[in-house]
Amino acid sequence: MSILIVDDSPDARLLLEAILKRAGHKDIYLADSARSALDYLGKDNLKGADGSIELILMDVTMPDMNGIEACRRIKEISHFRDVPVIMVSANTNLDDLQTAFAAGAVDYIRKPPNKVELLARVRSALRLKHEMDRRRIRERELLEVTRQLTAANEELERISSLDGLTGIPNRRYFEKIFHKEWRRAVRQAEPLSLIMSDIDHFKYYNDQYGHLAGDDCLRMIAKTINNTPRRPGDFVARYGGEEFVTVLPNTGINGAVVVAEAMRSSVEALEIEHAVSPVGAWVTISSGVADIFHVLVLEPDELISAADKALYLAKREGRNRLEVVGIITKDVEKTGCYRREGDLNRDSKR
Amino acid sequence: MTQNGKQNEKIIVHADDDTADIIPGFLKNRHRDVETLEDALQNNDYESIGILGHSMKGMGGGYGFDAITDIGMSLEQAAEEKDTGEIRRQAEVLSNYLERVEVRYE
Repeated sequence: MSILIVDDSPDARLLLEAILKRAGHKDIYLADSARSALDYLGKDNLKGADGSIELILMDVTMPDMNGIEACRRIKEISHFRDVPVIMVSANTNLDDLQTAFAAGAVDYIRKPPNKVELLARVRSALRLKHEMDRRRIRERELLEVTRQLTAANEELERISSLDGLTGIPNRRYFEKIFHKEWRRAVRQAEPLSLIMSDIDHFKYYNDQYGHLAGDDCLRMIAKTINNTPRRPGDFVARYGGEEFVTVLPNTGINGAVVVAEAMRSSVEALEIEHAVSPVGAWVTISSGVADIFHVLVLEPDELISAADKALYLAKREGRNRLEVVGIITKDVEKTGCYRREGDLNRDSKR
Repeated sequence: MTQNGKQNEKIIVHADDDTADIIPGFLKNRHRDVETLEDALQNNDYESIGILGHSMKGMGGGYGFDAITDIGMSLEQAAEEKDTGEIRRQAEVLSNYLERVEVRYE
């Protein structure tokens, strides 16, 4: 803990230094003018930064630059904002006091200095400084803990959003994203499509190859499906056991069909052996595709139901294929769906 | 000071032991001040006299010499008023005080 004495009078510097040293303050630095004090502090900012200058005793009346101006300048340096400055002066008029406190001084000692008073004021200023230092350390620790907590929460949020087996987003995350995209689609009058995909005869696969092989199969297919959509905002999640859902924002039915077909063929191209599949030699998927466009009266769940219905149709029609269901609410009753077979053959510009 | 009989008597000042090391230097500087005052008077340099007075006022009592603080105060005021007579008188008072003062540490 060191103290900087700034005074143009050698007698004053000597006296203050002698009193403080006798009282046990070992490190005393002396400056004979405001300029040399600023130079000293400015040249080696570390003196303040590492807390080595803990108190400044500043004479008020000095030639060139007075102590009040020096105090103001020191307080402008961030390292020294919390370093207390005690003004020392023979002139104690109220204006001087007011200006000194406005410049950032914490206390005022009259010249000639009284030893008891000087030491008491120095002690209390140092105590204040230590209290502030402690508080700042506590604040830093608190900030660090808060940062760690936020990071841990983000990590938890991330983990709780992902499916443990396949590593792709889980159903919980899907619900969040889907509702967000739904609101955006309604607000911006954009189309929104959903693909519901299911591995064909996965139960047979598990029975034939065992659950460990079943898990590997799920992982491979999840990865393939997840890698198929390419637009920003496209989102794939594991919906249930062997079921996957894909959200395609700002995508109409034609684009969605292209994506669903790409998924289907990519999965087939994996050529995962499925000896007991009634559909073919490899593991395949069936998908149901549904879209909304300019539909304000529907609930989000109705789009999921429509995609489910399409998936049901795809399975009924022999699997390893996709079916499309569109929703209209004006001409058909609210829950009504209709099949849009024709769309399947349409060119898509997605 | 006007009573001749007392002019040569010692003036005993009790000073804090803490300042024993620096008091001789302080008193030596005040001897120099007497010379500085005489020079400044010759040059009508009231500004230097004012600064010197201010400095003596600020430190005399701190070292234990209240009389020096008083002299400093008078000098500072006299410099402001450019009162040459008073400045000369205070210089003599200071010189006389320095001749007679004897410090005892406790």
